Amino acid sequence: MEERPNALLLKFPGTNCDFETARALEASGFSTTILPIAAFKKESLNSVKLVVLSSGFSYGDYVMAGRLAQLETQRKVGDALTRFRDNGGYMLGICNGFQILTKLGLLPEGSLIDNTSGRFICKWVHLKKNNDQNAFLNGLPETFELPIAHAEGRFVAPDGAAESYVENGLAALLYHDDVNGSSSQIAGLSDQSGRVLGLMPHPERFLWDSHHYDPNWQGDNSGWGAGYMIFKSIYNTIIKE
Amino acid sequence: MGSLSVEVVGKFGSKEDANKLLYAPITTAATFRKSRVYQLQFDGDEGEAKGFIDRCLVDQYADEVSLDQDSYFNEYQFYIDYGMKPGALDLEKEAILSSQKGDDGNGFKLLSLKLLQRVYIFSELEISSEPFVRDVCNPAIHVWSVIDSNGRKIA
Repeated sequence: MEERPNALLLKFPGTNCDFETARALEASGFSTTILPIAAFKKESLNSVKLVVLSSGFSYGDYVMAGRLAQLETQRKVGDALTRFRDNGGYMLGICNGFQILTKLGLLPEGSLIDNTSGRFICKWVHLKKNNDQNAFLNGLPETFELPIAHAEGRFVAPDGAAESYVENGLAALLYHDDVNGSSSQIAGLSDQSGRVLGLMPHPERFLWDSHHYDPNWQGDNSGWGAGYMIFKSIYNTIIKE
Repeated sequence: MGSLSVEVVGKFGSKEDANKLLYAPITTAATFRKSRVYQLQFDGDEGEAKGFIDRCLVDQYADEVSLDQDSYFNEYQFYIDYGMKPGALDLEKEAILSSQKGDDGNGFKLLSLKLLQRVYIFSELEISSEPFVRDVCNPAIHVWSVIDSNGRKIA
């Protein structure tokens, strides 16, 4: 029987993509538990291989996107996520999850702020991989499409940092075009260990080719979309370990 | 009891066309900037209260903070401060208060918190605040004030 590694999807008040993300995790082979942050216990991470922070508007994006979720996570979880990563666990933050991981300091220095347009952007974008070895992206082609939907997706970092993230591959995912003013067109960022990835695009919204905006889109004829490949990549990495 | 007033401005922001704020464009060239103002009253250590501001209300990479009573920008035509009506449910304020109450061992107690959005309007020419107040503020839920370039409250 196929092995199904455990994924834990942490949910905050205002998280609203947990169902789709859980569906994507299940489709790619994970056994998934959705856990509200208020119910988090020390032992919640036992036997978990992947922690996912899915998208939404945690705590209404009040103050700034991800800030109140960061404070609540620090209160409820402490340094358990850092220890989880150091002990070989993987973490994925999608959109609001990326904002939270950044604020928690689990990703390289920087922040996600209002798009340069000052508006919420909801569209499909072209993306390119900037790190072939990344455990979440190794099953994807060099370029692919995913939808984005965010108001605070412009990545900014201390002087020169964004350029260095691109150079050393920590900026694992880049926008093909300047969609939101992100420094060096960074769409996704990994930590030094390669075990944590945050990205603004929504992989859970492109599981099947029928999710694509072009009804005639066929991709690689597998029937799966690029978003599925992200979940499948990390599944394959975990299974091989 | 201590009090602090903090204005938080995005470091990466820049002046934008003021017509973005309006439903009907004006012909006078004007730009705007936005900021957030937090007015706190607290019991206890002021340093701890400032620590709370840095930790909870400010983005260390993307924001600049002014603790002065003076406005962050000058040479504006006017600025509008608007916030939720007293008695209206301000979910952002409640979320911040609730988050602060959850912190153990704080050396201060937050007694009250007022949140204001501030919109500065810049223009070489004199410009009326009326269309901006009309299109930015919602009388059903907001209270507001308008301060002119001389620091006088004009609305």
